[in-house]
Amino acid sequence: MGVRITGLGIVSAIGLSVAENLASLREGKSGIGGITLLDAGRELLVGEVKISSNDLKEQLGTGAGNVSRTSLLGLKAAREAWGENEHSEQLRTGIISATSVGGMDRTEHFYKDYLAQSDPDFTLLKTHDSGNTTERIARHLGISGYIDTLSTACSSGANAIMLGARMLLAGKLDRVLVGGSDALTKFTIDGFRSLMIYDDQWCRPFDESRSGLNLGEGAAFLLLENEKSIAFSGNKTIAYVSGWANAADAYHQTASSPEGTGATLAIDHAIKKSGIKKDQITYVNAHGTGTKNNDLSESVALKNIFGEQIPAFSSTKSFTGHTLAAAGAIEAVFSVLAIQNQMIYPNLNYQEPIAETGLVPIISLQTDRPVTAVLSNSFGFGGNNSSLVFTGHI
Amino acid sequence: MAYISAASTISHQPTFKNAGFSALLEVLGESSALINPEYKEYIDAGLLRRMSKILRMSVACAKECIQQAEIEQPGAIIVGTGLGCLLDTEKFLNNSITIEGLLPPTSFIQSTHNTMGGQISLSIGNHGYNMTHTQNTLSFEHALQDAMLLLAEGEENILVGAADEHIEFLSEVAHRLHVYQEKQLTSGASFFVVSNEKTSGSLAKISDAQSWGLVSNVEDATAKFLKDNNVDLKALDLILYAGNLSEFAEIDTEKCIDYTDFSGIYPTASSFALHYAVDSIAQNKPIRNVLIYNALIKNNLGLMLVQSLEA
Amino acid sequence: MDNLKEDLKKQIIEQLNLEDITPADIADDALLFNDSGLGLDSIDALELIVLLEKYHGIQVTNPDEGKDAFKTINTMAAYVQKRKG
Repeated sequence: MGVRITGLGIVSAIGLSVAENLASLREGKSGIGGITLLDAGRELLVGEVKISSNDLKEQLGTGAGNVSRTSLLGLKAAREAWGENEHSEQLRTGIISATSVGGMDRTEHFYKDYLAQSDPDFTLLKTHDSGNTTERIARHLGISGYIDTLSTACSSGANAIMLGARMLLAGKLDRVLVGGSDALTKFTIDGFRSLMIYDDQWCRPFDESRSGLNLGEGAAFLLLENEKSIAFSGNKTIAYVSGWANAADAYHQTASSPEGTGATLAIDHAIKKSGIKKDQITYVNAHGTGTKNNDLSESVALKNIFGEQIPAFSSTKSFTGHTLAAAGAIEAVFSVLAIQNQMIYPNLNYQEPIAETGLVPIISLQTDRPVTAVLSNSFGFGGNNSSLVFTGHI
Repeated sequence: MAYISAASTISHQPTFKNAGFSALLEVLGESSALINPEYKEYIDAGLLRRMSKILRMSVACAKECIQQAEIEQPGAIIVGTGLGCLLDTEKFLNNSITIEGLLPPTSFIQSTHNTMGGQISLSIGNHGYNMTHTQNTLSFEHALQDAMLLLAEGEENILVGAADEHIEFLSEVAHRLHVYQEKQLTSGASFFVVSNEKTSGSLAKISDAQSWGLVSNVEDATAKFLKDNNVDLKALDLILYAGNLSEFAEIDTEKCIDYTDFSGIYPTASSFALHYAVDSIAQNKPIRNVLIYNALIKNNLGLMLVQSLEA
Repeated sequence: MDNLKEDLKKQIIEQLNLEDITPADIADDALLFNDSGLGLDSIDALELIVLLEKYHGIQVTNPDEGKDAFKTINTMAAYVQKRKG
């Protein structure tokens, strides 16, 4: 079983296109650095997308009205994934996006003025709700009909891809843009700081000394098509979404269970769904946020599934920062690029294995082996765990 | 197709644990209030102390549904919410802007849209598929479509529902933006258990549910929806609607009820309408075919066809 | 010291929204994070760190440091006194 991926689009701290992201991954160049665009009220390390909202608006031709940064980033990535495709009355086209902050960047702007009673612009709030973020993207791409937004914290992007694949297999849609977008906001930065899991140094996924995450921002979309749609578009298949699963950890509101219950279930079900054997997984693009809790729990889950034969794995959040609802989509694009270009990315800033599990990630670019199947993990608050399997063939 | 084996709603009406409520509804007055059950009967005190209104409503409805359906665990938990956890979002946003030092984390944790789904799974120890859809006024329709897709994939006994909470600030926004002036903005939660199997406990069936974002022609979309389901507009016994029905010349207005007169306005009020339809069918035998027509926002159209078990 | 303990109890009830609990219900040596005591969890631990900053001007930068300090009202009071020197 599998669903064709025929288009990719991405914007992240390491580039404004697929080509730019690929180049940074190849060079091992992280996009995490000091904050420059957002006024967060303090110095800190973030994975900012290096273009202002005004420049994005101009580039995308969205007009003078209010558009949230989440929509702008999403539109930029969705346009790249959509490419030169044309609309057709014969094809049912949908869009499923994921976001956790929606238009919070605009809402924050409003709320400061509101609290200061300095003539707040209430129309800014029209971009607040998450559904509006997706609707804006759909409107600009001329998509109507099935327009949906998922919001399950940090697993949202992966869930959008899963839902899109299911919709296509069920014959409800012929093609669908799936992905996610989240802009950096003071709200989320302060939020992760309040949880005391924001690292003031570079995040160090899977390292014994890890002490938290760096937030990032960005967006990514994939175009999924069925046979009918391919017959119309003539698009080449880049890779397949072959397996997917979501499972609840049901352990704690924010923390992952020490046994990795939900993560293990998600990984196990996704691999089973893909129909391949677990030893055929060549690379695991881990959730790997860099927090004590996640990386340990995820390591335990990997051991639960793969035993001593753990595939090559790394967390690319050391390049992009944690992009929340976009993370699953950004890492899905990285997973597909790994297959397309036969490469495994390094886990930056790693020195020492986690004492309890002893797992060692890939720390330098690998181009010496065929990459045929990639497992991508995304785990979120509320114990929301998702895994996807991408393959070069079905 | 989905058989409904349980339904539970907390709203401004006496809906909770009150089969037959559809016959008792009165149009909401200007200052109606949410009718809260005794939450302690459903939620552990340790969890309850942190829960905002939307969380309490959702977990109580979910647990009540599971009891009604007489199942140990649902196969999946799917939630729709238009605006999510507004109380906690407002609280954290306020703190983030006004407090210089360390911020209390609880409201941040509970500000994410999937807090309802997460808290339900945590409360009942459920490890199944857990999803949250947020597409403004179509959030519930999307959750329901996801549930029906899962049923088609072979999953059973899915808990699906929706919730939204009102905060005072919303009324101020509505006033300033000149929207929804004529009706009360309210809170509400409705949850259901849906399954593939018709059982002695089945209340009604959802024959189809669909949604259209940025819809261009509501009349065409509705006609096609009914045709695909082999139901004539004239065969409908009841049309529960929100928004404008004026495009439809043929409709017998006596059969039409604006459900927001009873639910008040919130993005997922169509889930209230579904419970209303189910209760009407279960209590009132002549009613066999109900269309829920959700055009609360002009650009968005949600349609649900609810039928009696015999229809 | 007794005043400090009483204050801490009131502040905990307020910060953690412990409805139905009064300061008299919290024994000085009850284990706060055990079900035999208040049954608090890791989110509460973070809230207690906020409490120390808000009411006592004490900054705890490493959450692990809080673990020992937050065992009971007695240990919390001792920690506050020590930090205030």
